[in-house]
Amino acid sequence: MFKRFTSGAREVVKRAQAEARDLGHGWIGTEHLLLGLLGEGEGIAARALRAAGITARVVRDEIERLVEPLISGPDADALRAIGIDVEHVRARIEESFGPGALERARLGGCRRGPSRAFIPFSCRSKKVLELSLREALRLRHNYIGTEHILLALLREGQGLAAQILVRSGVRADDLRRAVLAALGKVA
Amino acid sequence: MSEATELAHAASSTDPETGLRAVAALRRLLESLEALQVQNARDHHWSWQDIATALGVSKQAVHKKHAGPRRRIGRAK
Repeated sequence: MFKRFTSGAREVVKRAQAEARDLGHGWIGTEHLLLGLLGEGEGIAARALRAAGITARVVRDEIERLVEPLISGPDADALRAIGIDVEHVRARIEESFGPGALERARLGGCRRGPSRAFIPFSCRSKKVLELSLREALRLRHNYIGTEHILLALLREGQGLAAQILVRSGVRADDLRRAVLAALGKVA
Repeated sequence: MSEATELAHAASSTDPETGLRAVAALRRLLESLEALQVQNARDHHWSWQDIATALGVSKQAVHKKHAGPRRRIGRAK
């Protein structure tokens, strides 16, 4: 799948994985791809996002607001009151099934077969990566760059990344036009 | 146990807010654990019937609850 990805696009995916891990999430969602695009820093996507006023800080804050933890702090306290140490449960589960396993199970994931070594993509982010190929083909590019991933994020339109962009006052059409303008294409 | 913790403990164990929150959280934890363990059993090639028996529910129930998304993904590929 990543065969035609530029080094920048590969960097985005690598960073998305690291972001998911750092946030303790058991999946790589569109929100992590968005952080990956921003973190990559130099690509057309990063520049377009920056110009639209989107920063990693803004995205992280929104993720925190929008992604509810499976068990919140008060939940853990309530469970402790009836003798259940949820952190102990989590530690034992993650020992066997890897970090974020409980959250991943809740989400349903997008995987077939065991895949404990790495954090799997969510269905939506998988879809975005597939769409990035289509965006490249549409533009008659024979590579997939960060700009195609961003265009795909905007086209998919349903994921957390798209929601975060909307909540931050970015209009998908405007951002799409900005990316195409940077590519020297008429929107 | 200090007096303060003892008091806090006594209060929390009869406080409906705490008790109900614990039940709700436990239910979410349970749902998550069930999804994880069913997935793991499938990865180990357990049949839906065997999983249903282990969970003490009908094969239809477990299949309906856990087989859906996987099949959708399968078709999309």
